Amino acid sequence: MEHANHPLGSVIRGIAMALGLALLAQGATAQEAKPARKDMVLKGDAVCTRCHAEEEEYPVLSIGKTRHGTTADTRTPSCTSCHGASETHVTRPAGAKERPKPERVFGRKSATPPETQNQACLACHQGGKRIHWAGSAHATRDTTCVSCHQVHTAQDRVRAKATQAEVCLACHKEQRAQMNRPSRHPIPEGKVVCSDCHNPHGSVAPKQLARDSVNDTCYTCHMEKRGPFVRTHQPVQEDCSICHNPHGTTTPNLLKARAPFLCQQCHEPTSHRGTIPGNVTGTGTALNRAVVLARGCLNCHTNIHGTNNPIDAAGERTFRR
Amino acid sequence: MKANTRSALSLTALCAALAATCGPARSEQDVDIVELTRPGSSASFGLGYATNDGPRFGQYSGLEERGAYGLLDLDLVRREEASGTWLKLTGRNLGLDSRELRFEHNRQGDWGYFIELNQIPRLDPYTVSTQLAGIGTGTQTISGLAAAAPVRLDTRRDRVTLGFDKLLSRGLDLQVRFRNENKEGARLFGQGTSPGAPNVRFLTDPIDYTTRLLEVTLGYTGERLQLSGGYYGTDFQNDIPALNVVGGIAGQSPIALPPGNQSHQIHLAGGYNFTQSTRGTFKVAYTHQRQNEPFVTASATGRTDLGGKVSTTLLQLGLTARPLPKLSLLANLRYEDRDDKTPIAQYIASGAAGSTFDGRNEPRSIESTTGKLEASYALPMGFRLTGGLDYELKKRNTYLIRSVSHRDETEEVSARAELRRSVSETVTGALSYVRSERGGSPFLTNIVIGGATGSNLVHPLHLADRDRDKVRLTVNWQPSLPLSIQFFADYAQDKYGGRALGLREGTAQTYSLDLSYAFTDKWQGTAWISRNDTRAEQQTQSGTTIWAADLRNIGDAVGVGLRGKPYSWLEIEADLTHSRDKSEYGLARVSGAAAVAPLPDAFFDVTGLKLSAKYAVRKNTSLRLSYVYERWSTDDWTWTTWTYTDGTRVLQDPVQKVHFIGIALQHRWQ
Repeated sequence: MEHANHPLGSVIRGIAMALGLALLAQGATAQEAKPARKDMVLKGDAVCTRCHAEEEEYPVLSIGKTRHGTTADTRTPSCTSCHGASETHVTRPAGAKERPKPERVFGRKSATPPETQNQACLACHQGGKRIHWAGSAHATRDTTCVSCHQVHTAQDRVRAKATQAEVCLACHKEQRAQMNRPSRHPIPEGKVVCSDCHNPHGSVAPKQLARDSVNDTCYTCHMEKRGPFVRTHQPVQEDCSICHNPHGTTTPNLLKARAPFLCQQCHEPTSHRGTIPGNVTGTGTALNRAVVLARGCLNCHTNIHGTNNPIDAAGERTFRR
Repeated sequence: MKANTRSALSLTALCAALAATCGPARSEQDVDIVELTRPGSSASFGLGYATNDGPRFGQYSGLEERGAYGLLDLDLVRREEASGTWLKLTGRNLGLDSRELRFEHNRQGDWGYFIELNQIPRLDPYTVSTQLAGIGTGTQTISGLAAAAPVRLDTRRDRVTLGFDKLLSRGLDLQVRFRNENKEGARLFGQGTSPGAPNVRFLTDPIDYTTRLLEVTLGYTGERLQLSGGYYGTDFQNDIPALNVVGGIAGQSPIALPPGNQSHQIHLAGGYNFTQSTRGTFKVAYTHQRQNEPFVTASATGRTDLGGKVSTTLLQLGLTARPLPKLSLLANLRYEDRDDKTPIAQYIASGAAGSTFDGRNEPRSIESTTGKLEASYALPMGFRLTGGLDYELKKRNTYLIRSVSHRDETEEVSARAELRRSVSETVTGALSYVRSERGGSPFLTNIVIGGATGSNLVHPLHLADRDRDKVRLTVNWQPSLPLSIQFFADYAQDKYGGRALGLREGTAQTYSLDLSYAFTDKWQGTAWISRNDTRAEQQTQSGTTIWAADLRNIGDAVGVGLRGKPYSWLEIEADLTHSRDKSEYGLARVSGAAAVAPLPDAFFDVTGLKLSAKYAVRKNTSLRLSYVYERWSTDDWTWTTWTYTDGTRVLQDPVQKVHFIGIALQHRWQ
């Protein structure tokens, strides 16, 4: 307070006021001249970025970090390519209580129909692995591209191996439960991801599988099961999922049920195939125990996917050689 | 826009204003803009320590043994703005056996290439105590070691993927992908004989595989027409084609291991937008697959290999249309003909009278036709009603002498209805019902060598008559801004017709409830609980005794999570999960005199706790502390009372606890 009345203080205040006025004058002059606002990332984005910023619930500037923000690529879209020109949103008509939404707003809560949302993406991304999007399970259930993809962020969680499953399992609860089971693919570790086997954008295979059939998809990693063999096991050639559940089981090797039960779902009960499993405490014969303990039927029938050995009726025909 | 930020002067607006008015004095703000709009790089390195061996914990992560581990992740990104040229080096888990490294260089909209290295380890969770010598090799000697030694089997995939992309002209692009994978290691195997008095020897399956995939695709993307066609070739080689067993069961060596095989496919897929709301799609593909690996033992036929040939033809046609603004239609047809052209030869002498084996190989051909019709109508308030019909016809070949029952055709028709609400501020969800009926041509009578009628008591699970009912309900409810609730219920029931033995009935139920709550802008919590219950009732026969199994698996899981950023310099994450899977067998005698003793249940429990805190040391540097606890336990009896004839035991620690502590420093930069 002492300084307030100091002669030097008055001088300083005076200089500050003068500077302030000068700045204000500069500002006023600038306002009168109305210089064009600069684009920050995309062509023509100035009209958007004057309001939309990084503090938004859905940040917009970080799109500059993505392929959609690579302006050297002549195909790179602008804000309005996806969201529409949205003139009423920009200018807000006089008398409007609330600013109208952009023409296309993305997300589950959006009033923009899912098909319209997706059309914004498909306008560019309809080829390649998305050719069969129309009519796919996701498309017909109103899944939107942004249900899974984060367009404005550098790290799209569904495209990163470590986090992709979290996105898929947010809807696929049955698979989430199965992945906790002791026999599973290394999905929680991100070493196998959902999109290794499935094409979520649609395919000609059942269950939107990445290849043309169940088996062709499995063979990409398990080609040793393909054969054909001298002795084939019919369900192996037809569909791996007859015996296996790829999302997780309590039986080793992703088998849907423990041997001998799984085998007995097809095989006639002749010879020893209807054997009653022996009690694990030791009751029953050695065979009773051998069909259920350790690897069960596979203790002996080790080449269960097929054998290519052309000799020995006892061994070859029963997948033992 | 968030309410709490609506009135705030945005950084963008501030930066823009300063940029417009302050001329050269804006450099710091420009830096901020660059940080916000240009890709950045980061690197994280540190150390972790696992307190115990954890075969289950580290089964796929490479953290299986007690000790210290290097934690190293990289994400180096550079984009040259003028040309749109990206240079990326991404590494994950570089200090572990599960490491991944990818280098990518591309000029966006022009060309690009990448190379990716990926290691996928798999540790068998069991410890084997065996005298087997030569584990993991093509010659194994039973009781070859003087004393049993503990062994842990494992496999590892080393995968290299190469990619090249070129945009040839507007809308026309070329994509090349090549993947080479070597898989090495060993897994559980064995040999056995004599159903009356089992003689089961422990062996390992030696693995030295090479799998190669090559895909060359030319794509065209136009406003109306899109095409994608090319070549897809695969090659599998096994460097250990046979397992020679020394000291094993007479007449059971060598054992043939998976033969090398190859496939070549040409394919063309496309889509055409007839109008804005009508689109047609198609795919045609032809695959030629062969397997002509030399036999591991001489064949009496004079053939030196199988000469395996399989030709697969695929045709798909699809049409989607919206003839009325509220009505959507869908039709889809898929035809696949897997024609196994492998020559048939009399490899082995036919079995004696009464045998189910005639000594010839049995190529398997399958022809399947599936179709789908669907109509969907938009109702008021965001609802949509969908009805559909699905059809599947499968034709399979067979042979006169069989050990398993067969029918030439199966035919399944499904009708479904669904009421869905996908767009709403508060409640979305769907309720659906599907009814499927599978039948087919009459089952053939099994004939044995000599012409007598064989056993005809079981309809195989994928051929049997089956009625399936499935109901599913999903609800996503956001009663208030911070709270969202997700409920999922799924119930399916299968009833199998036909014969008394085999599968009789099955059910599958899944229920889950997920909650998410934002306590404040800085703290969010999640909680979920789920139950999965599957049952299969089946019967078979031993001698004159008919017995049943009621197989049941119940999986219960629960989890809670917390995410917080109480300060700008501190982020906290916490997750606690617990799951229990229980298997029940429900053995019971239906008729006859043989004893049917119950099998005990088996459970698998996993409890996991993950805690992490990320502390910002400086603006671009942070320290992450993490702690993981996992407790895995079981009373599985699969191996506990089993001893191989050669004395081998296979066991696992029934209770496994691991504490893992990690500390890593992360730095980010532009």
